[in-house]
Amino acid sequence: MSWQEWENQHKMITNESHESFAEKYRASNFSQIVGQNLAVSSIKSFLKDFPKKKALILYGPAGTGKTSLVLAAAKENKYELLELNSSDLRNRAQLEERLKPATEQSSLFHSSKILLMDEVDGVTGTDIGGIPELVKLINSTKFPIIMTCNDVWQSKLSPVRAKSTLVELKPLSISTISRLLQEIAKKEGLNESPYFLNQIAIKSQGDMRAALNDLQSYSSSEELIVDLTETRDIQQSIFNILKKLFKERSDFLNLFDSTNLSLDEILLWIEENAPKEYKSLALAKAFEALGNADRFRGRIYKNQSWRFLIYQNAFQSAGISYSKYAPLQTSFTKYERPSRILKIWLNNQKFLKKKSIAKKYARFTHCSTKRALSEFPLIKPILKNQNVQKSLKLSEEEIDFLNK
Amino acid sequence: MNDTDIWTEKYRPSKFEDLVGQQEIIKRVRSLVQSLNIPHLLFAGPAGIGKSTLALIIVKTLFQETWRENYLELNASDERGIDVVRQKVKDFARTKSIGSVPFKVIFLDEADALTKEAQQALRRTMENYSNTCRFILSCNYSSRIIDPIQSRCVTFRFRLLEKKDITKVMEKIAQAEKLSLIPEVFETLYETSEGDCRRAINLLQATASISPNINSEMINMIASSTKPADVKIILDYALSGDFVNSRNKLLDVMLKESISGTDIIKAIQKEIWNLQIEPEIKVKLTEKTGEAEFRMIEGSDEFVQLQALLASFVLAGMGKST
Repeated sequence: MSWQEWENQHKMITNESHESFAEKYRASNFSQIVGQNLAVSSIKSFLKDFPKKKALILYGPAGTGKTSLVLAAAKENKYELLELNSSDLRNRAQLEERLKPATEQSSLFHSSKILLMDEVDGVTGTDIGGIPELVKLINSTKFPIIMTCNDVWQSKLSPVRAKSTLVELKPLSISTISRLLQEIAKKEGLNESPYFLNQIAIKSQGDMRAALNDLQSYSSSEELIVDLTETRDIQQSIFNILKKLFKERSDFLNLFDSTNLSLDEILLWIEENAPKEYKSLALAKAFEALGNADRFRGRIYKNQSWRFLIYQNAFQSAGISYSKYAPLQTSFTKYERPSRILKIWLNNQKFLKKKSIAKKYARFTHCSTKRALSEFPLIKPILKNQNVQKSLKLSEEEIDFLNK
Repeated sequence: MNDTDIWTEKYRPSKFEDLVGQQEIIKRVRSLVQSLNIPHLLFAGPAGIGKSTLALIIVKTLFQETWRENYLELNASDERGIDVVRQKVKDFARTKSIGSVPFKVIFLDEADALTKEAQQALRRTMENYSNTCRFILSCNYSSRIIDPIQSRCVTFRFRLLEKKDITKVMEKIAQAEKLSLIPEVFETLYETSEGDCRRAINLLQATASISPNINSEMINMIASSTKPADVKIILDYALSGDFVNSRNKLLDVMLKESISGTDIIKAIQKEIWNLQIEPEIKVKLTEKTGEAEFRMIEGSDEFVQLQALLASFVLAGMGKST
């Protein structure tokens, strides 16, 4: 499919005269893309340097211009665009059938082509083998593959992430959206006050598509008051949440509402990343707050008193944010996923072996397993003796554990 | 002598004459055994001074070759519930003994770890089956054994082994294993083991696994490298304000050496009193430690709570105790 067809297809969905603003004013070349200069230049150099890196992921919240950017890239370079989005089934067989030939055959009428996998985070459980197949395609493709998604940090995307250049699209600033709205209002012959357009821009929280939809719906109604209280609920990534929590200083009682991670998961994220942001006194205070949050977490589980979530939340949000005396001026911090749970699990497996050895030793030497465990470091060199291992009837795994 | 390479077993005395220390007790127990009739016994005293060994010698002397059939050993700190008393103990106690001695023997090690309910259940069992079964209980503190049980037993209080006792055991092992020990080593072994003979033997064997020529330095090295949890380093970092290193070391100890949170917090509680800080702060930190332990029992996460506790130490070190 060429970009013209692509455009036509989109136009067909909406009647020409009643076309939605969002489609009508979709940027169609690089110069029309606003506020994403960094992303534009990275996509340009990605296409120029291809096949140095074979795939690129554009990620960012909705309405920041991911799809428009790819469309513009295809148009500017006169590339053919082959798109597969989440309305298509994207399991292994489908990907192989539809994309594989495309990755191997060159385009008839265009110099090259771009394969667009839109909304890759929508590759779901029913798309069995989709992600591994995608990785295979990236390895073998003769044409650049561009993917888009909202949350690039999902674990299922990690194999793809490793193979791709990551380009983030930030939410547009309110002033940018406000300015674009004014231009469009003028073209549409709408006589809206700058104040009104600005209210729409604020409400959009950086989502240009949402702003355009709002403009269209408000301008066609008589009511000209923008209700700012019903700001669009947007999902924030945990990275943004942590950034706010650590760098800004505010009570943040509603901060965690915008993520679907549970408070307990967030607690682990804070535990993992607090030492990256806070130093000495602030860090100690943050851990005191975290300890308090965890105390209420324990009580919730013990007594099933879900009301205590309020306290856990308060310590985890306000408690952490107020651990410092002033907002942090530090620049970018790379937050990491919590790793402790995995470590604990691995450790528990180890501990079980240690315990079973201690039990055998204890029975043999007339002492308690508890004592054998507490003296384990001292006993360990003795247990390395093969005759001892034989007389205690240690299993092979247990012997492996000792020799490690 | 037993045929094994674990020295604590290989050199465990099997006759009254081989025992070191506790001479008074041995004399009395021996005469009881010779009369072929022993009452219920309660051995009280710290670890590694011969309580289990004496119990084993009693049954071996009484039953000779059939001692295994007539003897049940249970460790109460591993099986501390009432079910153990109701099932294992009763099942064993109600059947008749094999051989000429009219009773069997149950050795209940670390009986002070039994719950109060289990002890209550034990009390009736001791009476009901006293014809067919005798109990030997051992404990660290006899005060943790309920009075009705104490009154049914003859209590023997074991004393700590002296330096000459430990030295005698070590000399015997060194000779048999062809080790060369210089005299100062005996002093070191006695001191690092704090009179605990089991620990002294383990220490000797662990050191001997490196070299048969043993000196004090090696003993000290092994002893310090095998300390269960080096909480002092963790606390020193925290008090000097270095939270990051303190936390890393803590996670290291917990994850690499598989030491549980409760064991660490116990060690911290002990270590507080050895720290170079104002006594008032020690009291304050003890409160924090107790609180952390309580939260852990309440179901909080031991990692988070221990890190929060370290934070309290950091704040205390900065004079900002809350």
